[in-house]
Amino acid sequence: MSHATPRPGTFLVVDDSALHHQMYRLIFSKGPLAGSTVYHAMNGREGYALLAAHPELTLVLLDLNMPEMNGLELLSRRQAEGLHPHVPVVLVTTESTPEDEARGRGAGAWDYLRKPFQPADVERLIARLQAERAPAA
Amino acid sequence: MDHDNAFGELIQEYIAESLPLAEAVTDAFLALERRWRDGDTDAADAAGLKGTLHTLKGNSAMMGLAPIQLVAHVLEDLTARILADTAARTEAAAALLVEGSGLLADLVQAAANPAALGGAAEEYAGRVRVHLGTAGDPVGQPLRLERRNIERRADAGADASGTIRVDFRRLDTMLEIFGEAMIERSALLEVYRGLTARYGSGPEIADLERAVSALGATMKRLETALMQTRLLPIATVFGRFGRAVRDLARDERKRVRLVTEGDDTRLDKTILDRLGEPLVHLLSNAIVHGVEPEAERVRVGKPPEATVLLRAATLADQVQITVADDGRGLDTDRIVAKARALGLDAPSADREAIHALIFVPGFSTAEQVSTVAGRGVGLDAAAAAIHALGGGIEVASEPGRGTSFTLTLPLTLAIVRSLIVEVDEERYAVPLSHVAETVRLEPGTLHEINSRGVAMWRGSAIHVADGGQLLGTGATRTAPRNYYVVLFAGPRRRGLLVDRLVGHQDVVVKGLDPTLGRPDVVSGATILGDGRVACILDAAGIVALREVA
Repeated sequence: MSHATPRPGTFLVVDDSALHHQMYRLIFSKGPLAGSTVYHAMNGREGYALLAAHPELTLVLLDLNMPEMNGLELLSRRQAEGLHPHVPVVLVTTESTPEDEARGRGAGAWDYLRKPFQPADVERLIARLQAERAPAA
Repeated sequence: MDHDNAFGELIQEYIAESLPLAEAVTDAFLALERRWRDGDTDAADAAGLKGTLHTLKGNSAMMGLAPIQLVAHVLEDLTARILADTAARTEAAAALLVEGSGLLADLVQAAANPAALGGAAEEYAGRVRVHLGTAGDPVGQPLRLERRNIERRADAGADASGTIRVDFRRLDTMLEIFGEAMIERSALLEVYRGLTARYGSGPEIADLERAVSALGATMKRLETALMQTRLLPIATVFGRFGRAVRDLARDERKRVRLVTEGDDTRLDKTILDRLGEPLVHLLSNAIVHGVEPEAERVRVGKPPEATVLLRAATLADQVQITVADDGRGLDTDRIVAKARALGLDAPSADREAIHALIFVPGFSTAEQVSTVAGRGVGLDAAAAAIHALGGGIEVASEPGRGTSFTLTLPLTLAIVRSLIVEVDEERYAVPLSHVAETVRLEPGTLHEINSRGVAMWRGSAIHVADGGQLLGTGATRTAPRNYYVVLFAGPRRRGLLVDRLVGHQDVVVKGLDPTLGRPDVVSGATILGDGRVACILDAAGIVALREVA
């Protein structure tokens, strides 16, 4: 099953796991996404500051469970403050109930990425986003 | 198509992040097991652990580490069960949680070498599924991945290290049976001697002799093999400290790096289980008292980050563990001043003797309670714990260079090399690890000072206690005893008067019925080769006794 090839972009990863940051670093430095710019934040607070500073972001990959402002809190605050609403955010979760997902979408999440994921899952997700956001031909 | 290994190069990052999580889970389940045993079956804090296990499962899945994923998965299921169902909070469930989290930590630590992860995970998962009554349920992906990994290993012709996990109690049972076999062998030996005495020599008797002696050699090999199965790498204990050291250093506003060496040194599980606490005391002591504040270190030209070394090494049939810091060293003046304030005899010149004072009961705790809020760092407690294990503790210190504690421990507590002595026709086993020397009592060498026996031994006076009185044999003495055994524990010595030295023997330690009493002087019992029951003397306890008539 083939999927459209994603293009490099500018990404923000918000996650409290150093391991996950390294995983994203690999994903964004190899294959079709090589050449992307990636910003890293270790908690929601840092993530929010980086989001504010980078309106040009292609996508934010936002972990749900984090100390110091979790993913949902970040989304809610962004919504309340109207910060760069055009930047899509994907919530990264290990296990989410439909209720969680509804709350995330309500708070402005574009989609979900479930752990455990592999590089192809991220590539597929970004390709889908880019196809959706492409100006209509 | 090998997507599991897309993140393979991150294995060290994976271990660095997952090991503290797995260890925290282990610690929490150990605490839970203790609480349940004490009758408090609350499980509220297990909710957080379920989340941690879930994270571990996810991370392991992303790394393609199916066996670890499997163990985390069944642990998560088991945790969910005990959370949901109070009736499920049983001793068996707690034991499975503790075992599984330990396995999880072991597997994470070995993750860089996936071929070694092998069957332990599946074997454990099988038992958890039986426990949960879900034995028939497919666990799906993890199992499939595991099987495929096994096939791959076989393809590669790699050596599949056939490891199984065995309940430790089964090993204890084997050891007990071995002890009984030793006694039966002795009985056989007696029969052989009886036959020789009665019928002299002959071809059948010679055959019997060969058989008895071959049996003896085989038993010795069996003993060695059995002991090997009881030994575990000390990494299981060392691995717990990284987090504790970091937290304590942070509390103290110091920068401390913990370096471990000899993690694969092996020790009997019963000793490992009791080593955690004394090591925590020593590490806390190093961080709180040994390591200087950063500014002071910089001022004296030391690196701002202190190093605390935890090292294990095997020396013959003992293990040596060192806890060393590069801090300020012991302050002998303060130790002497404090000893005098506490009314202790304080030597003024002998540095080693001064250092040894820190192990005196009450010495280290008294001050630390006031200097470090609420944190009593009991060096005496650590020393007592080590002595109780049949080990020794020594301290060496250089002003400005650091302090190092050296623990010497037996490899095992299950079989103790002993000196068998006789007192009033009863036999006793004295652990050789605490025997400095045996001395034939010459007339006029034992003096009575303040109604206590005193003898000169290697140039210093030591107290000598009568074995019969100490052990309460109740016999009326008619003749003086023939020998005294010099016992030692740490820097202390004490002589013990006995009638006869019977010989050396490896004895299998059996527990003592607590109703028997006299816990200060006897640590256990054993059955000697001739079938007689003998008490094993608690040499450290005897040496530490304050007053012996």
